[in-house]
Amino acid sequence: MTGNPRNPPPDEVLGLDDLSIAVHDGAATAVRDISLSVHAGEIVGLVGESGSGKTLTCRAALGVLPKGCQITGGSISFERQDVTGLSPRGWQRLHGSGIGAVFQDPSSYLNPSLTVGSQVAEVLRVKRKLARRAARATTLELFAAVGLRNPELVFHQIPAELSGGMLQRVMIAIAISCEPRLVIADEATTALDVTIQAEIIELLKELRDQRGLAVLFVSHDLAVIRELCDRVVVFYAGQVVESGSVEEIIERPRHPYTQALLRVASVGDYQRRELEVIAGQPPRVGAEIDGCRFAPRCPAALDACRSGSIELARLGPGHQARCVRAGDPELAGVIEAEMAVR
Amino acid sequence: MSAAATETSATPLLAVEAVDVVLGRGWRSSQVLSDVSLTIGPGEIVGLVGETGSGKTTLARTIVGLVKPRKGRVLVNGTETSGLRRGALRRQRRRGHVQLVFQDPLRSLDPDLTVGQIVGEGLAIRGGLTAAEIEARVTAALGQVGLDATLLSRTPGQISGGQRQRVSIARALATDPGLLLCDEPVSALDASNRNYILRLLGQLRDDLGLPIVIISHDLSSLAGIADRVLVLYRGRIVEDGPVSQVFSAPRHPYTALLMASAPSVRHDRPLDVHQLRRGPADPAPPSGPNACVFAARCPFAVAECAEQPALEPVGDRWAAACRRHDAWPALARARPAAATPA
Repeated sequence: MTGNPRNPPPDEVLGLDDLSIAVHDGAATAVRDISLSVHAGEIVGLVGESGSGKTLTCRAALGVLPKGCQITGGSISFERQDVTGLSPRGWQRLHGSGIGAVFQDPSSYLNPSLTVGSQVAEVLRVKRKLARRAARATTLELFAAVGLRNPELVFHQIPAELSGGMLQRVMIAIAISCEPRLVIADEATTALDVTIQAEIIELLKELRDQRGLAVLFVSHDLAVIRELCDRVVVFYAGQVVESGSVEEIIERPRHPYTQALLRVASVGDYQRRELEVIAGQPPRVGAEIDGCRFAPRCPAALDACRSGSIELARLGPGHQARCVRAGDPELAGVIEAEMAVR
Repeated sequence: MSAAATETSATPLLAVEAVDVVLGRGWRSSQVLSDVSLTIGPGEIVGLVGETGSGKTTLARTIVGLVKPRKGRVLVNGTETSGLRRGALRRQRRRGHVQLVFQDPLRSLDPDLTVGQIVGEGLAIRGGLTAAEIEARVTAALGQVGLDATLLSRTPGQISGGQRQRVSIARALATDPGLLLCDEPVSALDASNRNYILRLLGQLRDDLGLPIVIISHDLSSLAGIADRVLVLYRGRIVEDGPVSQVFSAPRHPYTALLMASAPSVRHDRPLDVHQLRRGPADPAPPSGPNACVFAARCPFAVAECAEQPALEPVGDRWAAACRRHDAWPALARARPAAATPA
């Protein structure tokens, strides 16, 4: 599709088209030709190991790439407008109106000596130009919307007086304070207890349903993605190796890496089982590999996997995988047999 | 029964007897552990679960002698260690009989020391060994965790997260401990590395007969490895029993809530999380200083829960601190599975 003008559907909120990102001042390519889209009222999950490029992709979509990283190809569009070369001022405007963000550790994003209410109200006064009183009222409404039970009390508390789950709710309140169409959440539930994590997952689904919010949710945990997302994009070593609806990916994974991820993921039946591992280590960030990037760790790799470039193949409606054996009915059996041996 | 026979004939490796721990002084003090008792037998893997603030880490610190209990005793091999002071305490620690493995290996390992220095440090402090003997022990300990000697001269920053956690375990193994306490050993790792570390701990138990306590909030992986599980809620043990029985029919509603909250790639849970959370229609729970610690969150609390129940036997080597341990499972199943709109 490269070279052709894209024609995204009208409800596309975020579109990445063949996006590549270089790190170490252009010395290595960490993200290669990523294409994905997030639509209104949809939660898309990015899953992959650390170093797979998912956080970098997120930061590019937020316009906050770290120093030494740059976009070397492809484009980013927000509500069908190209924002790839947007100026820092332009991104700032977008952060205050169209895009919100939630990160892993809420306590490091809030000032420990100010009340949380004043910090949220400040965002509203700067970004939405609200008067003091209106900002306060809107903050209380937001606190209620994210399920904080006693908004008045929370308003006057400092971050240290709130639990991790309450702080993450405050961060989500800030993220949705400017009525964004898109929220990008990077490992937003990873640091939380399971009971709180379940509540935050429900909150994000509610916001999706009630506000038509689009969410890009990044996690290394396929089980969390399964609970929350509508569609999944699987990253491996800087590439998309598989994408599709959650049901498709969980029920009919076609890439060996996805199949392996599923075999090591948490299951809720609490039966004793052999704990399986994916043998080997992912390649170092930016490594140049001929052929499939997963082939060195893949129990089902053939000679054909080790040369040339392997393209994403369409396997069904909305389901794609980057594997020469993606259509092979014996693939899952090979993965199962090989992983059980180890 | 053989299990009961070993319990009476041999002294348990670790016994914690009715321990209360209070942290802080005066009006700022808070009771972190209340009436905690447990024993760990030879070659047993015990999972300790609970949420942030439940006292899991304080319990581990009390066992190794970093925290003094206000009441009760800690016995290692039948010798009381909780009352030791100064020289006696130092001697006890240098023996390295109980070893702690921390959650975040990047923060618990000195970044300036090499792997060889880190693993050998405990032996060097204990004294009585030549440099060559220490080196041999270090190489052997690394071998036990599946790392080879080429890593000896690397620093923690130069190895992967999974390898770092294996170095922490090798450091603990070097002093030939009688008990390993692992505080969240896998929560900073992805699913494959998590399974690798848990399998490694299982193997150490099998090969060395080493009893291991694993503190974790990931119940699903504990199901794959632990023999017994202890559930801690606000400083009290609310359930203690064999993993297979506790995880197939929990007798405390908090254990059930934890199980239903954990994310899963398969949707096959016996109870839905909404059947175990308090709803707006549930009658107000009993309150007061003596009320059951879980009453405020429990949808099944009744008037008699105004008094904290003791841990009472509910089966063979299985105990729960719930007055309604017989009644609530049927009540839970009768509740609606999805949230009813308010």
